[in-house]
Amino acid sequence: MDGARARPIWAFLTGPYALFLLFLLLVPFANVAMYSLHTYSPTKVFLPELTFDNYRKIFDLYYVRLFARTLRLGLITTAACVVLGYPLAYFLARARPRVQALGLFLLVMPLMVSAVIRIFGWIVILGRKGLVNQTLVALGLEPVKLLYNETAVVIGLVNIFVPFMVLPIMASIERVPPNLEEAAQNLGANWYRMFWRVILPLSVPGLISGCLLVYSLSISAFVTPALMGNARERMAGQQIYDEVLVSFNWPSASSLALTLVLLTVALMFGALFATRHASRRETAR
Amino acid sequence: MSARVPRLLLPFVVAAYLGLLAPLVVVIAVSFGASAAFEFPPRSLTLFWFEAFFASQAFVNAFFRVSLVVGLLAAALATVLGTSAALGLVRFRFAGREVLETFFLAPLLVPEILLGAALYLFYARLAIQASIWTLLWGHLIICTPYVIRSVTAGLVGLDPRLEEAAMSLGATRVQAFFKVALPLLRSSLLSGAIFAFIISFSDINLALFLSGPESTSLPVHIFSQIQWQGDPTIAAASSLQIVIIGILILTVQRIFRLRLVV
Repeated sequence: MDGARARPIWAFLTGPYALFLLFLLLVPFANVAMYSLHTYSPTKVFLPELTFDNYRKIFDLYYVRLFARTLRLGLITTAACVVLGYPLAYFLARARPRVQALGLFLLVMPLMVSAVIRIFGWIVILGRKGLVNQTLVALGLEPVKLLYNETAVVIGLVNIFVPFMVLPIMASIERVPPNLEEAAQNLGANWYRMFWRVILPLSVPGLISGCLLVYSLSISAFVTPALMGNARERMAGQQIYDEVLVSFNWPSASSLALTLVLLTVALMFGALFATRHASRRETAR
Repeated sequence: MSARVPRLLLPFVVAAYLGLLAPLVVVIAVSFGASAAFEFPPRSLTLFWFEAFFASQAFVNAFFRVSLVVGLLAAALATVLGTSAALGLVRFRFAGREVLETFFLAPLLVPEILLGAALYLFYARLAIQASIWTLLWGHLIICTPYVIRSVTAGLVGLDPRLEEAAMSLGATRVQAFFKVALPLLRSSLLSGAIFAFIISFSDINLALFLSGPESTSLPVHIFSQIQWQGDPTIAAASSLQIVIIGILILTVQRIFRLRLVV
């Protein structure tokens, strides 16, 4: 019995997945880091000569524009998700259990359907002969070009990522006891004043973590800009996809991928920290 | 208290749900429409596109031979890997436990498109050909954290003294787990497995890099059909996926708290 207790059972239990992640997550990214420091060769993919050129190239005008566009679209998407997601999060947090269950189902179900299918739906809605243009024509107006521009990309991204904004905000509003709202209102604050002074400040951790999540997901998006965007106004994810699978410039793709992964992982850790910090404060109370 | 929620909120809520559900509703409607021009609302109804789906070798292959197979295998393997990892994390105290816990969530922090690219480059370096196996290993990385989350939530609510009681009555640790804890963890195991299946079944970002010509998954095939301006067979295939996922999410919601997994 004592011998059995001395055996590190936890290592047997956690070991398989830890090893799996080591070989299929850490090693592949180490491989990416290594590629990113090698010289590109059109005939051999890469030469064994170390160089920083792949990172220096990121400061070329083309790549600066690419990243600027990517980060800008990410910001717009995040802002739109706050506007659409916050009211929904508040509604769900304060809804009766049955309404909440239905609301959560209708929020999570679309989230789980493949992104490519939801984008396909938007293409049908916004297309040349889509729902919106049919309505315009029926009203005697000229059809407009709604697809293959930045607006379409933002619509697609917001649609796909808004649940990631709603869920953390909803969780942090639920931690605010409803009688706190009643107390503020009984003391004479109207709903808006109560919201501004009580709910909003207390939901900041959820808001931060939702924003960081949505931002890092949208700056690494691929499917949405590839299907709804303009071929000349690409986002970083598309550039990486092309350099890996089409132009086979693996050293350049690797430097872009590593830059983007470090950025998003830093943001995601921020989100994780914001949620944990909030729940710690909660338990400390 | 819900009576005090201002009316101004409702239009936002309705708008958000309209936006969320509109693409799904449109896809399902188009799949039953007679017109090949993605007409919405459809003027007449037909099952033609579903027949076309089952008649298309490429679609049937992508759906039944790749996506379904990889999804089921990923769900089974992720459940084993994830349950054992969750047990180790919840039931034992050891140095570095928190670091390991964060490491196990890492796959959710890395953008999938970059994980896909990294795995593609890694497989290429080892000269491993794309097959359903390369896709399966990739999916296991992103599926397992969902099992860990749901089983962890189940384990936290399970009194360890139940197992201790079984052990004091003569059961070994392993027997106590399989005969006492496991039956009580059934619903969290099942919802973890279902989520693992869904994540694999609807994944596009990894599959774009890891699918080979013989192992094109359904979302990747839909993706290329959209690019090549296919017909509403795309919508029929999409509708099937929407229905399967809808039923699965409903099941999870019935047996377990949805929010503990998402």
